[in-house]
Amino acid sequence: MIEVTGLTRKFGAKAALSGVSFTVGAGEIFAYLGPNGAGKTTTIRILTSLTRRDGGTVRLNSFDIETHPLECKSQFGIVPQHTNLDSDLSVEENLLIHGLLHHMERQEITQRTGELLDYMEMSDRRQSLVKNLSGGLKRRLLIARALMHTPRILFMDEPTVGLDPAIRRSLWGFIKRIKNDGATIFLTTHYIEEAEFLADRVAFLDAGKIVAEDTSANLMAAIGQWAVDYLDDNRLQTAFFNSREKAGDYVLNRANGCTVRRVNLEDAFISMTGRKIS
Amino acid sequence: MTGWYPIFLREMLLFKRKLFKLGYLFSAMVVPVIYLITFGLGVGRSMPIEGTDYLTFLIPGLVAMSSMTNSYTWVASALNLNRLYFKTFQVLVQAPINPFAIMIGEVLAGMAKGLFASILIITVGLLVAPLFHLSWLLILTLMLNCFLFACLGVIVGMITKSHEDTSTYNNFLIMPMSFFSGTFFPVSRMPEPLQKLIAIFPLTHTNILIRKSALDSQGLLALAILLAYTIAFFFLGSRLIRKYSE
Repeated sequence: MIEVTGLTRKFGAKAALSGVSFTVGAGEIFAYLGPNGAGKTTTIRILTSLTRRDGGTVRLNSFDIETHPLECKSQFGIVPQHTNLDSDLSVEENLLIHGLLHHMERQEITQRTGELLDYMEMSDRRQSLVKNLSGGLKRRLLIARALMHTPRILFMDEPTVGLDPAIRRSLWGFIKRIKNDGATIFLTTHYIEEAEFLADRVAFLDAGKIVAEDTSANLMAAIGQWAVDYLDDNRLQTAFFNSREKAGDYVLNRANGCTVRRVNLEDAFISMTGRKIS
Repeated sequence: MTGWYPIFLREMLLFKRKLFKLGYLFSAMVVPVIYLITFGLGVGRSMPIEGTDYLTFLIPGLVAMSSMTNSYTWVASALNLNRLYFKTFQVLVQAPINPFAIMIGEVLAGMAKGLFASILIITVGLLVAPLFHLSWLLILTLMLNCFLFACLGVIVGMITKSHEDTSTYNNFLIMPMSFFSGTFFPVSRMPEPLQKLIAIFPLTHTNILIRKSALDSQGLLALAILLAYTIAFFFLGSRLIRKYSE
């Protein structure tokens, strides 16, 4: 469980986070959505002890980050935005070092390495140097490394950024499996479909503040079910409707160039903030 | 406090990979061997100094210099790159280990690399200088020097804002120490005011201690100064790790 209350952080005069509060329940996937610079990575860095906070409290599985830093660190695994594996070490060596950093016994590390490489479908790459792996395999290894010490909380900072759609979808499958195994997952992303597919709940972050927090279905339902995109003075506009019939009627009354589609999370974000996520 | 071991092991695994590349051995030895040939076999061949032949005087100095540069450079450079570019240092900060353990792991790894380079120079020294011999004081001083400069490497690795910054510290700190601290000639041959400045450098005291055959009062003072520097650098480096925030 993740409990965050009144989190604040300033960089110089700029407030990166202004009183962010949320709770993520055990076994839940919580997506943290916002445009670049909204404060997603800053939040994750504070929650994982990489960045100091200016105010607020953070508790991970009831351990306070201030009073029990080491206990907090043993609660989570992290899949960072940028690949920070040791590229001159092998897959196995990367997992060994991570296991030792988390006070695992050698025998336990060997067993867990085998399990995780099977789980990530990369057992045949056990001895490969990381620098020789593809981008998708490196991402899978990052996830395996994060799961090495069987953490109960997993932080994933843009876990599929820069990957092609097929690899991204295969990673979604792994993330779902990890959730089904009982982990609490905190996910930052600016891929709308990723949040829609994976998350039990979504928070919209804009300029360091949470502007909405609910299930994807509820956030989208708040603005309608159907969307019509149309050009007005050469600017793309979107109108929202609760039924396909009403959307169809709207299209009939306009000139050509309209598109009717389902409402998505980005529509909900734009209608609340006036800004795009990606 | 067992958290230091994976950090040390990681550095050793990376070091092992580099060792098998010919370039590493060559780069670790090339500068001291050039100095050995230029000053030891060339300029100072028939020049007695402090009651012995120049080569016997020079080799302990080269060992001290080589242990300093290797311990310091490996740690400062790796830490700087791991923190700013590869982001692997962040993995250590996010692991449930004490900041002191990170410091000990990094320093012991730097020390091991410094000792390795020093052993290469000692081997060359034993081959070319018949009067040069190993003493327990030389080995103790060598280990202390490696530890001290690995600690300094952590400090520089933690405070530099870019990889280019590390060369600034090399140019203004390591390079002057290499030449003025008694590696190539006794500090007593320098002008009086400069001697006071040179006495600030830790390598000066390493060079005093490493050439002693027994621990006299001058040696004891040098040892005390080196220990004071080591403790100060160790705690400063640990503090920088503990206070680390992005």
